[in-house]
Amino acid sequence: MPFSYPHFGSLNYIFEVIFREIGRNDLIIPNKPSKKTIQLGARYSPEFVCTPFKMTLGTFIESLNRGATELGMGGGNGYCRFRYYWFVQKLILEDLGYDCKFVTFDYEDPLQLLRTFKNAGKGVNYLQTFRAFRYAWVKNRLTDKVDELLYKYRAIESEKGVSEKFAEKLYRDIVEIKGFRNCRKFLRNLPEIFKQEIDVIRDADPLKIAINGEVYVVLEPALNLDINKRLNELGVITKATVTLRKFLDIGQRLNPFYKMEHEKAIKYSHKYVPYNIGGETRENLGDVILYKKKGWDGVIHLYPFTCMPEIITRSIFPQVSRDYNMPVLSLVLDEHTGEAGYQTRLEAFVDLLERRRDIMREKKRLT
Amino acid sequence: MPHKIGIPKALIYYKFAPMWKTFFEELGLEVIISPETTKKIRELAISSAPDEDCYTTKLYFGHTMYLKNKVDFLFIPRFGSKHKTNIGCPKFIGLADVLRSMYSDLPEIIMPHFNIAKGRDNKVTFFIKACLVGLRFTKNPVKIIQAFRKAMIAYKQYKKQLIVDIETLSKWEQSEIMVNDFPILKKDEKPLKIALVGHSYVINDSYCSLDIRNKLRELGVDIITSEQMPRELIEEQLTKHEANLYFDFEREILGTILYFIENKVIDGIIHLMIFGCGPDSLAGEVASRFSRRNPVVPLLQLVIDDLTAETGMKTRIEAFTDMLRRRNSSFAFQLPALRIT
Repeated sequence: MPFSYPHFGSLNYIFEVIFREIGRNDLIIPNKPSKKTIQLGARYSPEFVCTPFKMTLGTFIESLNRGATELGMGGGNGYCRFRYYWFVQKLILEDLGYDCKFVTFDYEDPLQLLRTFKNAGKGVNYLQTFRAFRYAWVKNRLTDKVDELLYKYRAIESEKGVSEKFAEKLYRDIVEIKGFRNCRKFLRNLPEIFKQEIDVIRDADPLKIAINGEVYVVLEPALNLDINKRLNELGVITKATVTLRKFLDIGQRLNPFYKMEHEKAIKYSHKYVPYNIGGETRENLGDVILYKKKGWDGVIHLYPFTCMPEIITRSIFPQVSRDYNMPVLSLVLDEHTGEAGYQTRLEAFVDLLERRRDIMREKKRLT
Repeated sequence: MPHKIGIPKALIYYKFAPMWKTFFEELGLEVIISPETTKKIRELAISSAPDEDCYTTKLYFGHTMYLKNKVDFLFIPRFGSKHKTNIGCPKFIGLADVLRSMYSDLPEIIMPHFNIAKGRDNKVTFFIKACLVGLRFTKNPVKIIQAFRKAMIAYKQYKKQLIVDIETLSKWEQSEIMVNDFPILKKDEKPLKIALVGHSYVINDSYCSLDIRNKLRELGVDIITSEQMPRELIEEQLTKHEANLYFDFEREILGTILYFIENKVIDGIIHLMIFGCGPDSLAGEVASRFSRRNPVVPLLQLVIDDLTAETGMKTRIEAFTDMLRRRNSSFAFQLPALRIT
């Protein structure tokens, strides 16, 4: 039974790695979603469900048309309605006449996750599954690093489009790498490779903007209208602060000497929201403080329309922004988001940040 | 003079009101509950709440703003869940934090956190947390424990009164008894049996639900609400499906609809949805899909938000009941599920 899963930005490559490792060679790798995909999904979706539902439903319909019969999706219990998507999507797809089976992954429970992967795989035991899983998180570190470097170098490259092509090649390399030692070596060498391959403008003075928000919106370029590229073209270095490694990377989670970035962020946000309220609320609030301390210029917060936890985040953001003197721009996204309005807002925000930086530098020079 | 504690009359107030009220009254506080939602509160709500919240959350902001200058304390618990795996809405946990951060001039907010599913709480920690709240007002531990006991008894009694058992339900289905107010009937008219399904903070709030209960009563409809349904039947319905609906308050809604779709004893179901409610968007879709697959009991889904007009809603309800009557009387045709926004 051909297997497929939703498109999830550069994590797409990770899903490919893990399913190939557990012996699923009948993968149907989802196409990059387009405007058409989301419209297809929105046509059959409930009217006020959040946008990731529509996007994933659209990709599923496209994959099913290409021959997939088994679909992978998140499951379990949580604050977000994401984990109940699959049941509703299944009913919708059944009514549309598709014959499909859902495999659900409860990504918050590692043991359960391992069991599901083993059952989803073909002829693998637990040890092999764990190995596949370990490959996934190690390679996820690589793709995250490539993303980070791409968003940096694309802003300051002297010849447009070089770094993007280069990164595309690296993603493919990451999927192909064999052996954990090679992975580690690759990760170590990555900054060096980028430095060698890409010519940068020497006297560039880019702004730095952190991009956070709901994880699917931040990582899926089709949904956020490729915000990283838009900002990079305006000469701004960006960084996506949220990552799925929060759940996947058991290596770093278990390491007592290593603190993942979201853990630091959660610590900072304790003043505003002391309890977990689902989504990425605490991380996003903490990010503002964390990136202020790191000396970044601003934060852009993205969330899909009617997202429950992120509305809370958005309501508290003004206070955090005021307390720490850090500009935050919140943007809602759904299938009706217009490109021109979006671009204008980004440009205006970047202009404001530039002026703000100039004024602050002037002040520093005078004192 | 006793301290005044304010409880906004919205959202989970409708679930736990007797418990909270008894507890604070026993502690010797003056409990001030905001009045029923009015136009003034709605206007306050819309001007004060974040614009993307659902309508009921906005109303909560309105009630809080109404109480702002009238009380010394506000009681806004961060309620997570009261079940092993199923949770409430994340907005309930965030309410107090959002209010605190948006309005710095609010009176002191008492915001205990309670969450069994994700917060490792249990009966013991519940008692401890209640004691900690009590210690802020009195130093007498006996008084607190007594207040706690009385509150729990009041809550249990309230639930017992509210929820009908299976026997009563089957009697209601046979038209032997009524579980709510007696409908106003015209001559030679038999009452229609309709299940009114929705969050308890919608169907009990007459302004928010556009006074639907009275309207139905005037149209000669005998109703049962989803919060009155026996829990056993709801759990039985929901375990039939492979997916676990983990929103605790949504379970009674979907369970009730599925039960009556399968049972086929009543004339129709009216489902009140709130625009922007996360669980409603998915459970509503599931309900309408199942209703379309088994179209014996018609299902009317009404989506309410802060701009919904009363007249339009009234027309729809009248049309729905008219259709049901006509269907009962002479010729039978099958109504598909309707969803009207």
